[in-house]
Amino acid sequence: MRMRCGCLSRAGWIAVNTFVEAARQRFFAFLVLLGAGMAGAGVYLRAFDFGGSELKFVADFGFGGMFLFGAILAVVLPAQVFFSEMDNRTALPLLARPVRRWEFLAGKFFGVWVLLGVFVVLLGCVLGVMLRLRAGELAVAAVETGREAPFLSEWGLVVFCLLQWLRLGVVAALGVVVCSFARSFLYAVVVTALAALVCQLRGMGQVAFAREDAAGWVRVLAGGAGRMVPDLQVFDLGVPLVLQPGGVAWEVVASAAGHGALYLPVLLGLGVWFFVDREI
Amino acid sequence: MSACAAIEIRGLVKDFRTGLRGVKLRAVDGLSLSVPVNSIYGLLGPNGSGKSTTLKILLGLVAPTAGECLVLGCAAGSVAARAKIGFLPEAPYFYRHLSGRELVRFYARMSAVPSRVREGSVADALELTGMSAAADRRVGTYSKGMLQRIGLAQAIVHDPELVILDEPTAGVDPLGAAAIGRILLAMRERGKTVVLCSHLLGQVEELCDRVAILDRGRLVLEGGVAEVLERRDERLLVVSAWSEAARVSVEGALAGHGARLEAVRAPRVSLEQLFVERLSRAEGKGGEVR
Repeated sequence: MRMRCGCLSRAGWIAVNTFVEAARQRFFAFLVLLGAGMAGAGVYLRAFDFGGSELKFVADFGFGGMFLFGAILAVVLPAQVFFSEMDNRTALPLLARPVRRWEFLAGKFFGVWVLLGVFVVLLGCVLGVMLRLRAGELAVAAVETGREAPFLSEWGLVVFCLLQWLRLGVVAALGVVVCSFARSFLYAVVVTALAALVCQLRGMGQVAFAREDAAGWVRVLAGGAGRMVPDLQVFDLGVPLVLQPGGVAWEVVASAAGHGALYLPVLLGLGVWFFVDREI
Repeated sequence: MSACAAIEIRGLVKDFRTGLRGVKLRAVDGLSLSVPVNSIYGLLGPNGSGKSTTLKILLGLVAPTAGECLVLGCAAGSVAARAKIGFLPEAPYFYRHLSGRELVRFYARMSAVPSRVREGSVADALELTGMSAAADRRVGTYSKGMLQRIGLAQAIVHDPELVILDEPTAGVDPLGAAAIGRILLAMRERGKTVVLCSHLLGQVEELCDRVAILDRGRLVLEGGVAEVLERRDERLLVVSAWSEAARVSVEGALAGHGARLEAVRAPRVSLEQLFVERLSRAEGKGGEVR
């Protein structure tokens, strides 16, 4: 029990140090500003709503910014705080101490993941405020014109933010896996980005390959290969969660959360497996 | 294996695979040596001789291809062994966003220094390495010499039984190097074992009890410093009031014993010794040294 506390304590302090190191980077502040700007700008760009609901356009714009800039952070941060630590040898005095490799890797991941949580909260707050302000204006206009006021669920937004945090955690875990065997910074970033893209397109690929008219072996192969990578699109529940009165069945939300919760430890385990014998 | 050995290495081999075809590069080739406890041990050799690889194997950062290594009775690289070691890597890089004190505290936490004594240990390590005054400055603002000192502080903050230092005085001015030398001697007096990798042979000669010289991964020479440096059939006499007549007399006396005077030179101090003496004197007078 005492040993486990020591392990958690070491991993925790590595996570705290990683969080502070990553949060101080201008890159993080720059992407927060870009993301917040995009979430806020949706209200002013609503003329380009392509005929859809205005609030839906604003929300989609914000959700898109949250995932786009969050994914960039989740791809780059593991390379910056994990791979670079090995590359510039700050890992040497740390791993020469009684620190297990999994503690180091877990500390790096959780430091990044907590920072991604801060990113999601900041952008969620900006988006929530913008949506609430515009929904209020639309509600007043709806009363005047006798139409139905638009629906907006703050709780739905909170659930959506939690799901996005999990989604970005999966991307960051992919980054940690790649960094655990990468030999250059560029390789770590590019391969993680490609892996995240594959995960984002997994659902579409499965649908394409699992058509009724596809050969049996193609369907079996697509089904098997599909299960080996996480599906990032299962977390795309923003519009129904936030803007639809019926919301989303809790089973769907639980399924998305379970999907992330299943792949996170699998990916981290894979990262530890690669990293444990890595020569520093 | 020797009961009083801090490090025991037997038949150590390390191969690295390089390039796409996986060509083997042998960095350490059948190395065997033993480092006694409570000593300062110098590991010498040109670049690429396998010193750093050997140290990394001892620390578990690199796995050996073959051979056996024990550190204070524990398998090298194990958590138990690493808990007893303090390590300063060559040209160390540390977290630039932390202050010196925060950095040493972080490494104290990583070495499980109990919280009730942690702050005292951090303050002692900073004091011992002369970094107390700059302890609250960010590491990113430190000079190369200060980085070496803070590196030494993090290596000794948990009071390890064995300290492994890879080029501890690289980039440090002679006064700083002398101060680091005094710290190492003080550690030996407290019963610690120090393994020192350095290209500064004068410093190694001055500090170390034993040395090992490696070349292309193999042990070329190993032994006590006095033992390996001494020319057994020659002695050096330092004579005051020297004159040509004294020289003739000495030659005559030596010839009577079948011995011969080989050379006559005025004694010299080393440039490092002169530098340290002069600066210490200037500091003692309160003079400003630039």
